[in-house]
Amino acid sequence: MGDLDRAIAQLRACRLIPETQVRELCYKARELLIEEGNVVCVDAPVTICGDIHGQFHDLMELFRVGGDVPDTNYLFMGDFVDRGFYSLESFLLLLCLKVRYPDRITLIRGNHESRQITTVYGFYDECIRKYGSANVWRYCCEVFDYLALGALVLGTSSELEPTGLAMNDSTQSTMPIDDVELETEVLNSKGEVTYSSYRPRQSASSDTSAENRNISPSGDIPSQAPLRTGAPGTGASGEGGGSYSSRTGAVLCVHGGLSPLIDTVDKIRLIDRKQEVPHEGAMCDLLWSDPDEIDGWGLSPRGAGFLFGGDIVKQFNYRNDLSLIARAHQLVMEGYKEMFDGGIVTVWSAPNYCYRCGNVASILELGEDTSNGGTVTRSNGDYGRSNGVMTGDKPGVRSPGRRYRVFEAAAQDTRGMPAKKPVADYFLPSQQAI
Amino acid sequence: MSASQIPNLNTLRRGGGRGRFRGRGAADGSLSGGGHRPRGTTSKDRVVQGTDNDASVSRLSAVALGYLQDPFAKTVLGTEFETRRLPIINRGTYVRTTAIDRLVNQFLSQEPQTKKQIISLGAGTDTRAFRLFASQSPPNLIYHEIDFAVNTTAKIKFIHSTPTLQRALGIGRPGDATVSDTGDALHTDAYHLHPLDLRSLKRAPVTSDAPQADSRIYLRGVDTTLPTLLISECCLVYLSPSEAADVVGYFTETLFPGAGGKSNGDAAGGDTGRADSGTPVGLILYEPIRPNDAFGRTMVSNLATRGIHLQTLQQYASLAAQRRRLQEQGFSGGQAAADVDFIWKRWVSEEEKERVSGLEMLDEMEEWRLLAQHYCIAWGWREGSGGVFDGWRGLEEQPAD
Repeated sequence: MGDLDRAIAQLRACRLIPETQVRELCYKARELLIEEGNVVCVDAPVTICGDIHGQFHDLMELFRVGGDVPDTNYLFMGDFVDRGFYSLESFLLLLCLKVRYPDRITLIRGNHESRQITTVYGFYDECIRKYGSANVWRYCCEVFDYLALGALVLGTSSELEPTGLAMNDSTQSTMPIDDVELETEVLNSKGEVTYSSYRPRQSASSDTSAENRNISPSGDIPSQAPLRTGAPGTGASGEGGGSYSSRTGAVLCVHGGLSPLIDTVDKIRLIDRKQEVPHEGAMCDLLWSDPDEIDGWGLSPRGAGFLFGGDIVKQFNYRNDLSLIARAHQLVMEGYKEMFDGGIVTVWSAPNYCYRCGNVASILELGEDTSNGGTVTRSNGDYGRSNGVMTGDKPGVRSPGRRYRVFEAAAQDTRGMPAKKPVADYFLPSQQAI
Repeated sequence: MSASQIPNLNTLRRGGGRGRFRGRGAADGSLSGGGHRPRGTTSKDRVVQGTDNDASVSRLSAVALGYLQDPFAKTVLGTEFETRRLPIINRGTYVRTTAIDRLVNQFLSQEPQTKKQIISLGAGTDTRAFRLFASQSPPNLIYHEIDFAVNTTAKIKFIHSTPTLQRALGIGRPGDATVSDTGDALHTDAYHLHPLDLRSLKRAPVTSDAPQADSRIYLRGVDTTLPTLLISECCLVYLSPSEAADVVGYFTETLFPGAGGKSNGDAAGGDTGRADSGTPVGLILYEPIRPNDAFGRTMVSNLATRGIHLQTLQQYASLAAQRRRLQEQGFSGGQAAADVDFIWKRWVSEEEKERVSGLEMLDEMEEWRLLAQHYCIAWGWREGSGGVFDGWRGLEEQPAD
């Protein structure tokens, strides 16, 4: 581990590691990633991050705000490279952390983790400039092919532990505190609460329909998942006697969104993912699609993937016992955006995107459910947010409590803006000799 | 909706990714390059002059990838430049160029038998004159370009060394064109390159009741009787508000005096007598707007770090302010404005949108929207007699913001 720790220290200082070490790192990473399914199961608590795009100094700010690895369990939803000036430093650091702490950081694939896109949007050029050849680009692209396509977060809590650092009290509820639980909280980079919302607390009454949810046979329970019946998103269970259903439903994390070819999470598991991102099809859609205020499906203005409406999200979440889809892929000026009664959220983690958009970024923290209450929640209709996801015969699953930490771009002078001289060129001479 | 409607990602491979060592950044988000470069001496001006290279590189990038057709794009650029921009910049270049082309063509195609005149302010390496003169049915047109001597000199060198440019301009024999001893001015019958600091063009004092004779010395070949179109592509925005207004006033009041010597208030849209209504004059502006939202503030500060200050940006920060400006500065026949995002959505046909979208994939639509909403095209006119600007009436403008 010594070498790896040294590499991590070096990359944290925004200094590249030698090409030979990159090759070794990428080899190890592939060995690790090949063992992961297309949909990785991750236990809460977890901190979910969106696009990084080579904004290394802002990634450091993200770690400052969200906690360091391995203290914090991270899930990055892709688009590590392109556009920013430090794609190599950013991606290699994340990869080192993945190899060093495989259970504390999850990386899934974004649409920019692709040979074709990186030749247009900067990562290829950056590799050539900083290493003098395309070798490192090739190693990285081989890793891209092994990245998982999605993740399923299990065991989240419906209630946030209040941080107690309220900047101003914007509590949305007038109910007695015993009857409500903290559902969402937004914090600024100083850790001050700028917004919070509450909802009625889940009553602990027994749930009658738990068994109903556990009828479809399947052997596909991920080993990492807590042993429970009807693990959300797994397509059900084999443990007939169990009655412990999720309080909150699972959270599906994917870079882009849904696909008309994918109606269950299990179908994602059937994809042969170890390839370049195709131009069309389910894998392409998962990485390219966007939610939109439409009904059904629509053509994407990006030229790949699709647009999908609230009805699609509602159906998909219902069918898969999901309470939330977390995705990235779209710049949102406020750092995050919940849509469709909270059925889907966009998390964007590249502040002042491309050093010009003026946006803030965010990360999403989901807490761990420690109650083991053994109940399935049913929304009572007072709160559209948690209620709208589920209608119909099945009991509603409760959405997880969501804490957004909003942060701004790292200070400009440390970021080495588009200074005319190429960044990090110092590395070239030594590498040319190799 | 079938999968076949999804453009093939392979198109991204066109142009390859080999040997391009520079970033395609334009991290300030500039669709802006190509402005006038005032007073070619100070370092500040040199910085602004550099924006013209940005523009010609952007033009060549968009041409090389198939966004635009322009056989002259590569004739006005040295070989040492990176020639590929990010897709978002290419699309912006496409919208800007085709929108102005459309306004220009509407102007030229009205009353085609009438000779017309275009005066391009801070033209830099712009190729529009070449494209017009080389078109299949060249318009009956006199084209003037005004820029700093350093830029006109460079352009004359390009013309000197490029037979296709000479052919476009109808330069076949010695005598078809005259170049000044200093090498910075060029004149043919129909094309004039004027080495000039725009800030020296000032409207005559209000007391003066006739165009000053010496005010025309600067601009050899200008025919003050011809319907005239002024174009400022990211040019006036570099001047101070009063300087910019003076430049426009020089044309609308001094060189082309309106009806009764003063143009204000004469919204003659119809057939008032030619003698009464002055020469028809129109103005097309292309420049950034909306400096006060998060994107705009970042744009202003990024440009400032490059030493670029868009002095009229705050003054004309919105579409409404641009319209007001046109009204106040004598374009009483009509004033309209739209941002690049709107023009992309509403002026570009669905078929053409599909073609352009298929050239390169945009990785981030919101970024495009943000960028495109911070550039606008504004156009205003003073009708005079006849209806050379009638074509502009049918163009869709953007509702007030």
